[in-house]
Amino acid sequence: MMAASVLLPSCKKEFLDTAPTDAVSTEVAFTNTVNARYALNGIYRAMYLQYANQDEGGESSVMIDMDMMGEDVVNRNVGNGWFRDIWRYITSRSVNGSQTAFVYRYYYKLISNANAIITNIDAASGPEADKKAIKGEALAIRAFAHFKLVQIFAQRYDATTQNTQLGVPLNITTKVEKLPRSTVAAVYTQINKDIDDAITNLTGATARTNKSHFNLNVAQGLKARVALVQQNYAVAADMAAKARVGFPLMSTDDYKAGFNNYNNNEWIWGITQIADQGTFFYSFFAYMSVNFNSTNIRGNPKCINSALYNQMTATDIRRYCWDPTGTDATLPVPAGGSRYPYMNRKFLSNSSSNSYGDLVFMRASEMYLIEAEAKARLGNDAGAQDALFPLAKQRDASYVKSTKIGTALIDEIMIQRRIELWGEGFRFLDLKRLNQPLDRTNSNHDPLVSVQMTIPAGDVKWQWLFPQAELNSNDLIIQNPIN
Amino acid sequence: MKKFLLNFLWVLLLIGSQAYAQGPVSGRVTGKDDGLPLAGVSVTAKGTKVGTQTGPDGRFTINVQSGTTLVFSYIGFITQEASASANLNIAMLSAPNQLNDVIAVPYGTAKRETFVGSAASITSKDLTNRPVSNPLSALAGVAPGVQVNPAIGQPGAAPVIRVRGIGSVNASNAPLIILDGVQYEGTVSNINAEDIENITVLKDASSTALYGAKAANGVIMINTKRGKKGANQVNIKATAGLMYRGVPEYDRLDAYQYYPMAWQAYRNALLSANPTLTRAQASVLASGQGTIDPLTNTQLPPTGSGIAATTRFPSISQTLGSLNNGNLITQSNNPFNVPANQIVDVNGVINPNAQLRYDDLDWLAAVRQPSNRQDYTLSYNGANEKTDYYVSVGYVNEKGFTVKSDFDRLTARLNVNTQATKWFKTGVNMSGAVSSSNTLTSGGSSYINPFFFSRSIGPVYSVYAHNPATGEYLYDALGQKVYDTGALANLGVPLRPAGANGGRHVLQELLLNDVSFKRNIFSTRVYGEVSFLKHFKFTTNLSADYQSVYNSSYQNQLVGDGAPGGRTSRTANFNTYYNLNELLDYSQTFDKHNFKILAGHENYTRLFDGLSAGRNTQLLAGNTELVNFTTISSATSSKDRDRYEGYIGRFNYDYDQKYILEASIRRDGSSRFSRDSRWGTFGSGGIGWRIDREDFLRNISWIDLLKLRSSYGAVGNYQTDGLYPYQSLYDIANNGAEPGYLQSTTVGNPNLKWEVNKQLDVAIEFGFFKNRLSGSIEAFDRRSSNLLFNVPLPVSSGVSIQTQNIGEMYNKGIELNLAGDAIRGKNFSWNINFNATSIKNRITKMPVETPFIVSGINRLEKDHSIYDQYTRIFAGVDPSDGSTLYVPQEGATGASIRTINGVQYTIDQNLAIQQYTGKSAFPKVYGALTNTFNYKDFSFSFLVNYQLGGTVYDSQYQSLMSVASYGGAMHSDILKSWMNPGDVTDIPRIDNLRSTALNATSTRWMKSASYAYFRNATLNYTVPKKLLAKLNVKNARIFVSGENILLISARKGLDPTQSFSGTVDYAYPQQRILSLGLNVAL
Repeated sequence: MMAASVLLPSCKKEFLDTAPTDAVSTEVAFTNTVNARYALNGIYRAMYLQYANQDEGGESSVMIDMDMMGEDVVNRNVGNGWFRDIWRYITSRSVNGSQTAFVYRYYYKLISNANAIITNIDAASGPEADKKAIKGEALAIRAFAHFKLVQIFAQRYDATTQNTQLGVPLNITTKVEKLPRSTVAAVYTQINKDIDDAITNLTGATARTNKSHFNLNVAQGLKARVALVQQNYAVAADMAAKARVGFPLMSTDDYKAGFNNYNNNEWIWGITQIADQGTFFYSFFAYMSVNFNSTNIRGNPKCINSALYNQMTATDIRRYCWDPTGTDATLPVPAGGSRYPYMNRKFLSNSSSNSYGDLVFMRASEMYLIEAEAKARLGNDAGAQDALFPLAKQRDASYVKSTKIGTALIDEIMIQRRIELWGEGFRFLDLKRLNQPLDRTNSNHDPLVSVQMTIPAGDVKWQWLFPQAELNSNDLIIQNPIN
Repeated sequence: MKKFLLNFLWVLLLIGSQAYAQGPVSGRVTGKDDGLPLAGVSVTAKGTKVGTQTGPDGRFTINVQSGTTLVFSYIGFITQEASASANLNIAMLSAPNQLNDVIAVPYGTAKRETFVGSAASITSKDLTNRPVSNPLSALAGVAPGVQVNPAIGQPGAAPVIRVRGIGSVNASNAPLIILDGVQYEGTVSNINAEDIENITVLKDASSTALYGAKAANGVIMINTKRGKKGANQVNIKATAGLMYRGVPEYDRLDAYQYYPMAWQAYRNALLSANPTLTRAQASVLASGQGTIDPLTNTQLPPTGSGIAATTRFPSISQTLGSLNNGNLITQSNNPFNVPANQIVDVNGVINPNAQLRYDDLDWLAAVRQPSNRQDYTLSYNGANEKTDYYVSVGYVNEKGFTVKSDFDRLTARLNVNTQATKWFKTGVNMSGAVSSSNTLTSGGSSYINPFFFSRSIGPVYSVYAHNPATGEYLYDALGQKVYDTGALANLGVPLRPAGANGGRHVLQELLLNDVSFKRNIFSTRVYGEVSFLKHFKFTTNLSADYQSVYNSSYQNQLVGDGAPGGRTSRTANFNTYYNLNELLDYSQTFDKHNFKILAGHENYTRLFDGLSAGRNTQLLAGNTELVNFTTISSATSSKDRDRYEGYIGRFNYDYDQKYILEASIRRDGSSRFSRDSRWGTFGSGGIGWRIDREDFLRNISWIDLLKLRSSYGAVGNYQTDGLYPYQSLYDIANNGAEPGYLQSTTVGNPNLKWEVNKQLDVAIEFGFFKNRLSGSIEAFDRRSSNLLFNVPLPVSSGVSIQTQNIGEMYNKGIELNLAGDAIRGKNFSWNINFNATSIKNRITKMPVETPFIVSGINRLEKDHSIYDQYTRIFAGVDPSDGSTLYVPQEGATGASIRTINGVQYTIDQNLAIQQYTGKSAFPKVYGALTNTFNYKDFSFSFLVNYQLGGTVYDSQYQSLMSVASYGGAMHSDILKSWMNPGDVTDIPRIDNLRSTALNATSTRWMKSASYAYFRNATLNYTVPKKLLAKLNVKNARIFVSGENILLISARKGLDPTQSFSGTVDYAYPQQRILSLGLNVAL
């Protein structure tokens, strides 16, 4: 050894220092506000990344899950099996379900990235105004993710109780540690704190660079959604009205254009994808569009519940989005694809060979519906009728302002909501927040395909099970009841 | 090289020893196997010191009188005696597994006699008969402790090798490959087996410690050929062969058996979905003999069933395939000549008049192609006193038995060494290989994996489209048969359901797509060796390997993932590996004390440059290059570096080759660890005692060798998953057109350090009765600590994994190796070589945060092996309704709990308890048996690998027994499933709706992993010299050989050699290769 060190040349210390070219260090990420903005952009990108399987495409896959677990989207065939076990309520009840693990992991990934920004942004160099806005967005993202998680994995928020039932782990630091489930009440407290802080920080911020970002409107819209779930209807109505300011309802032509245009003036929040982000089979449009040439769409074009379809007036322009006969040749079905009655053409992929496209997360119509529903549930029938009218009239020129009151009015608003937001990822969460049963009977649901035709309100199946991956690494988690 | 070295040694030893000339006798010594002259054979007059050795041409002259008994001895051959006479021709028989040998060790060679480590080797002789494109395949069965799982059938694929168990949980378990003295990371199938002189596997810590950096999993040293002293010789080897499927397909139902079982599965599903139906009603509906609704061509619910009249029921043939127009089902699956609603009657019995009208239902046959293998090598070599050379060119072409799988390789090698001056020696060994290959997806349930597609599709679906009315084939405009993709609505052909891979066509896709690679490697090793001050030698080795791989992938516009636009991608990877070492040797002998000291330094750099791009939407048909596509779907590049540096020291001592001592030390640094923890120091020590050389044994004539040896040492493992595990990183993730980055899911660990593998090894080596019986018994205890463990972090932390040095594991084992000459006659000999290994693996420490980790069928936990199987316990089938019974969780309640004969069960897999099953994928014992027979000019040998014990989780069988999707293939055992109340069977009801619960992962799918595998048999014929003399040929040999001949496992189709972890996949079945070869020396 001595001889070796004397005789032989030794290398410089730096010889063993290597670094990748396709990544940057944490220190670099938060040196200044310019870099921190990149870290923020990455979070929005994470909302449409593919995680593992092709049914793990970020937010778009969760949106599909939420409709698959309702009764309004109908599968007449199992297709190639993707999402089959979600709509049969098998995956959500299996600790080993890869979809369960994905949903859980995905939202905590958003949270963790947001936490890094919230923690590090103050020390970064750059204008204070930028720091404030960046932090505001990160807070809103954290609220958004916790809100989705608590709705999916915990029992519903019930304003008539203390909500001491177990929620989800609240992750609000950059520390990597085992976290127990906080109560549903505590989770909502944090969500509201984050969203309120976000609204404060985003008020007066310079215009966002891209519609994928949270701005004041999106934050207010999120606050409206949270309040709706908490049955805090006054706040919901107020925030919904504020959120839609500057976002007029889309025209009939736009409505028929395939829900794939980021520049649609009604979209408050959405994402755009560019071709080299290669979405292939994990895109929303690979499952929900009429025209993308995937095995799933060829074998299993998504249909609307026939009972719901039949609630539309004859002059409703939204009828265009579905073909009740299954024979309408104007639907651009991919070559060799099946046709089923009530199949949709609401969603159009950019082409049959490219699945990338724009995806809507929040639009003005939802805000009209929230305001109307909230006012109706508050007993403000006139206010609710007024709130619903512009939307209903926009979709059906012969619509006359509703004169219904009470439950009948609420029912009308809910039908409008189900039709207007069909396929946009709301139904399961609506049923759950309203403590309603799942009922797929008396419709075009095929019991052999859907299997799970009814689930009573309050059943254990309304809660997804915590994934094995979390149980493996976090023994503080108390699993939801199996039965 | 071996012969050359010995030759050289003999020259040294024998200088001045020639005396007592009594009269010359001359002759020639050749090897009996190959008829080639043997140089350096010791020829001595028995009982005297008179001796000589053979020259390069095998000739010798010795001054003894005729009739004197001459003893011919040569390392690696059986010592022979003969009476001296004029023109004596001696053909020496090689002694396989002889322990006397020179073996390759790190940074040099060692004599077997004084070697205290554990090693096993094969030589060119073992390799030349094997039709293997990857030379490592020939290691199967060569030594105890070395497990070689055969390569998958993809031509050119590599086998998977484990030395002495599984040492690491998350870091690599692959042994280190050393090619001609330097770490080699190119693909081993770049190397022409014919160029290899020997392959040595080093198993214990003392022999591997000098490669400290990566040697924790054993070392495989490959040495290529050098020129041999003697006349220039040209060798030509040619083999040609045919390849077949080596492992049979699982037993599956044919169309006649399938329809009634599909009917069962569907009828039972109807009952499960509609509890108000009676069994009789459901049976009628399933057969398609209910009341037909003309609007839908399906059946209305029977009156009194309590089901809404709006609900309609298809028949089994409509379920297995249908075509609809709006609600109206116009076509259904029907490969038979009877009407679709009469294929199966209401009792579930197939119509006795049903005959198949299609003859193209066999998808296995459809993806088969005529296969063949050709392998040629031309080499020439020679040497004079100062310079030796070896030159070869080789060509291999393999066409696998499945379409679009082949391998084509051209190799060349040049190895020149010269003693330039008395004190300076130098040499260069250069090789190049140019390969190209069409590759198949092997493993996983991808539609373009032909082994998934053909195994999983039901036997009632035709490869080509037929007119459903007439049964005639349909042809396209070019007169070609139309592939039935299961999505030909436009041709009026019924669509295939999900279980039958509707919309996809593996044959058409494989033929239209392109998945291929081109791989070039250029490999150079250069050294300079300076001898000085009598006892010192300084060597510098420099090596550079450049490997580039260019992958092409194209998916067509007609069918599959690329349709309808078509998509293409190209990936180019340029990997460069540089190694530089400087070694200083000192050797000295004082009387009977022999010393050797080695000191050295080395560094190693790996550079990975990658570039990839993809585009979709094809313009002109036929051109699959990127430029012919419109939309860029990806374009990226990256550069990575991985480095290590090490200091080496080794000390060898022996006294009279009787007492042997060895010690080594190595200090290594790796770029994968942070500055504060990147250096690790490893060392080893070994002792040996040649008991047979003690005076008290010297006179016992039947003991030829008795050696006791032991070693203990530590080696390191740094092979983490990523190259930068100590750094916390942000990955680049652009948001639309906005630049962005995103936290990596792996958290950096600045404290990460080397995983350490400490091994104790004790062995006895023996050779008795003139080495007629030889072998070794060896015990080892290999303990891994500071395991590079990918510790799963709480998912709710938003990150996934941090690599930590946590956990401990051991592998303890016993290895037995026996070689014997059952018959050692003049014309006939029979040699048997047997080895067996038994290993016990245990985890002894787990991370505190995660005391157990469930992963698939295994659970990692203290006091269990890494492959202990953990799942639900299958407890039989309830005879009342055919439900699968599982052992329930304690305290489980609800409707799924059943009590039968006083015992509680559950039929809900979510309420089943998951526990250790007491089974493990580790076998009790594994090993190999080789038999070699020699008769005159013929020799025959065969090799059997075996494994006893262990359990494999047969997921393939599980899939074939599950009926979750309509249209999937079924295993023949489904015929024995529960069908009627009261049936007592261990195969549950088949039910499309309840398949998940009925066929959940459980002990039901575990099967013995024992197997016997006839891996190779070779018959050799050496053409007699008399016949060759006229042709001016020195030597010729003809051989026939079979590879992967027969696998006997616990279930037909089950291949337990696919993995060490006890899992099986839709893998390319191993190829059985039958070949005929000719080897000629000019």
